[in-house]
Amino acid sequence: MAESASEKPESYEAAVERLEQIIDRLDSGQAGLRETLELCREGRELVTYCSAELDAVSEGLEELKLDELAAKLERA
Amino acid sequence: MDLPGPFAVGRYARTLREELRKRARVQLIGEITGLRHTQKQSYFELRDAEGAVPCTIWANELAALELPEGALRDGAEFVAVGGPDYFIGSAASSPAFSFRVTHLRLAGEGDLLARLEALRKQLRSEGLFELQKQLARPRLPRTIGVVTAERGAARRDLLAGLERRGWAGRVIWAFAPVQDRRAAPAIGAAIQDLAATPEVETIVVTRGGGSLADLWAFCDETLCRTVAMLRVPVISAVGHERDSTLIDDVAAVACSTPTHAAEAAVPLDCNAAREALGRDAVGLRRAAERAVGSRSRHLVSLARGPARALRRERGALNQKTREIRAASERGLAERRAFQRRLATVVLARAARRAAGAEADSSREALHRAAVALRAHEPERTLERGYALAEAPDGEPLTSAAAARAADEINLRFSDGRIRVREA
Repeated sequence: MAESASEKPESYEAAVERLEQIIDRLDSGQAGLRETLELCREGRELVTYCSAELDAVSEGLEELKLDELAAKLERA
Repeated sequence: MDLPGPFAVGRYARTLREELRKRARVQLIGEITGLRHTQKQSYFELRDAEGAVPCTIWANELAALELPEGALRDGAEFVAVGGPDYFIGSAASSPAFSFRVTHLRLAGEGDLLARLEALRKQLRSEGLFELQKQLARPRLPRTIGVVTAERGAARRDLLAGLERRGWAGRVIWAFAPVQDRRAAPAIGAAIQDLAATPEVETIVVTRGGGSLADLWAFCDETLCRTVAMLRVPVISAVGHERDSTLIDDVAAVACSTPTHAAEAAVPLDCNAAREALGRDAVGLRRAAERAVGSRSRHLVSLARGPARALRRERGALNQKTREIRAASERGLAERRAFQRRLATVVLARAARRAAGAEADSSREALHRAAVALRAHEPERTLERGYALAEAPDGEPLTSAAAARAADEINLRFSDGRIRVREA
């Protein structure tokens, strides 16, 4: 368990990969109580993170035109 | 100066023209640019990424070719047959070098494929096909940049693909012309602008199908070198499945359709991911509950356990105590019985010994000892007429001082005691 749970995952894929590891470990039934609770806590944080990432691409397609974006940046 | 001449320049110009005209006639392939027509001639440049040659064709010869209407235009890929020529100039016009074209045809698929193959070989040998493929592609980008035609089926298909993925993030459109080679610089600029936009995590370049000539912009060497060097992954979906353009080779991923490009741009099926995440959340909660639940049940059983265990132990202990007590009583009785048996055996042996003939000598010795012992007994002395002075408690008084100290003295004779008082 080198990874610290409280750190924000590097990316969605990293978070999902770690989450899969956690679930595999829990499914193996080999984790002790302390480890199980620690894994569950870390897992819940990852789920929250992933869920936020998914929410960010769930709120409706936003379409921008590069030309307009560039013009806006120039004005700013 | 040891050089030949000076020659009259007009004569030299004519000689130069003759020399040039002797050169072999060849076919050139390239893109038409700067096309203009005069009454007598048409002028254009044949150009590719590396260079250009100025070309001329006589108006009557061009007409005789009967090219399709509008085929000869800027941006079109043509094969020109001819050789070098030199116009020596006139009073009214400047001298000029040109490639004198005698035949002109639209570049066919075969010509383009041959050029494409040469370019492909070159770029591959430089390792440019690998660079984009080594880039990490996000599974769930928030912002995607797209280069495509503003009005085109590709745009619609891409959006449909993204929607099917359950992805509704931000799309930054960089619209560009996508037809023929003229489009290449505009496409290249659009891609670079998107790559320079910090939010853009992935770039999709797409257009619908067409002839190789239609797609030729996507085989542009400069464009493809640009894409290869970008640090943002580029997904190409140019033409249909059978079409293979050079940008497909240098891109991180080459897709056959805009729909596939949507899947490559967002590798994560967001709909499935939402469901899976929900399952994972439930799984984690259950794991936690299970871990705590089963252990707390175990704890409860352990907590109940001691009382039961104690009862059990106490019962066992009592039993043991009873057994031990019984055993020790039994043991004592046995030991006593054993001692009794032993005493019996010893006595029996003594009796046997006393009775046995082999014991005669020892009986005699015993008799002698008894006689000797008896000789020392005070009774024997008293029998000979002596008396023994004793304190009232029977302690012998062996001196006059002891006798004086005693309150009274008894004198013991062989036949009895008398009390003596001091006068």
